[in-house]
Amino acid sequence: MLGDFELLTLTSNLVLGMLILTMMLSFIRLVRGPSLPDRVVALDLIGSTVAGIIAVYAVANRQPIFVDVAIVMALVIFLGTIAFARFVEKRITR
Amino acid sequence: MTEIITSFLLIGGAGFMLLAAIGLLRMPDLFSRMQAATKTSTLGAGSMFLGVAVFYGDLGIVSRSLLVIAFLFLTLPVSAHMIARAAYFVGVPLWEGTVVDELHGAYNPITHELDSKSFKTEEDQKKIVHSLPAESEER
Amino acid sequence: MRALLLNFLLALTWAAVTGIFSARNLTIGFILGFLILLFADRTTDHASYIGRIIKLGSFIGFFVWELMVANIRMAHSVITPSTTMRPGVIAIPLSAKTDAEITLLANLISLTPGTLSIDVSTDRKTLYIHAMFIDDVDTMRYEIKTGFERRLLEVLR
Repeated sequence: MLGDFELLTLTSNLVLGMLILTMMLSFIRLVRGPSLPDRVVALDLIGSTVAGIIAVYAVANRQPIFVDVAIVMALVIFLGTIAFARFVEKRITR
Repeated sequence: MTEIITSFLLIGGAGFMLLAAIGLLRMPDLFSRMQAATKTSTLGAGSMFLGVAVFYGDLGIVSRSLLVIAFLFLTLPVSAHMIARAAYFVGVPLWEGTVVDELHGAYNPITHELDSKSFKTEEDQKKIVHSLPAESEER
Repeated sequence: MRALLLNFLLALTWAAVTGIFSARNLTIGFILGFLILLFADRTTDHASYIGRIIKLGSFIGFFVWELMVANIRMAHSVITPSTTMRPGVIAIPLSAKTDAEITLLANLISLTPGTLSIDVSTDRKTLYIHAMFIDDVDTMRYEIKTGFERRLLEVLR
């Protein structure tokens, strides 16, 4: 019979493994992606994965302050993606 | 009990993220990749932060987690729209199995303006429009 | 709008009476306040508020259902190679007028797997979306008009 604490340790390890796998797969797309927008999408997914890792870390180590870090992370991903999209669109007109 | 719900939500969220990455790798063209990547990752991250909210159950943490969820659900589709628009504009090719492309030729390459489409079946469109609720007077 | 304030006030009162200001207790207070408003007071203002809440609830239920069904379909098409896919870009005439309506509709379409909104025309009459499983273009258009847009406008207007 698993205690509650052990259950949570087990799941956080499992979830961290899954998220690292996610990051590696998106990294392959980031390297291989035939066009620039493909790479931007892969970068966007890596950013979301980092936010997810922060959430798991906040639960696994009982550190609720990391939720604030996740807010900043979400903001940075959004602004970065928007900037990249503008860059992709404007670059061709020159 | 909260631990079980939290574990369930975390594993579900991570599963969706993994699915997004697999989709990103396997889909044939950019738009299908975005279909697979953006919304499954939104759902995954949202579910994981819901797990954090359930785990702590404290007002400050719950409100901040809900803030992150609301922010993700508002911004990730917007950034997807920005990338898709830019990609279509610079001419990223669609997959050869694509059935229709009604956006073709609608962009003005100099002013970046987008024409609306005129529908041949005006009758059908009127029928659809009439089934919608009327526009309210007060805004 | 007044009924919503009243509902929040009832939730706060519940939290004050029980003496616990946690999120869980405030949610319980909000639900109890909603039930009180549902059964105790039936003036026209409240009736429209309750109807709106019920419509919002059914809309969220519809949306979550769509999300689940479409996610499973998406997972299936990700795992099996791309034989079932029939992607394409289609135009949808918009009945939504204001910025908020168009933004919400585009976001909801983007969040449903299988459809992704690409752009709105400059005169705001057409929404272009990319869809993964197109059996028939007109059927697809009709489904989005009567499914998503009608329900969303019912909630907002």
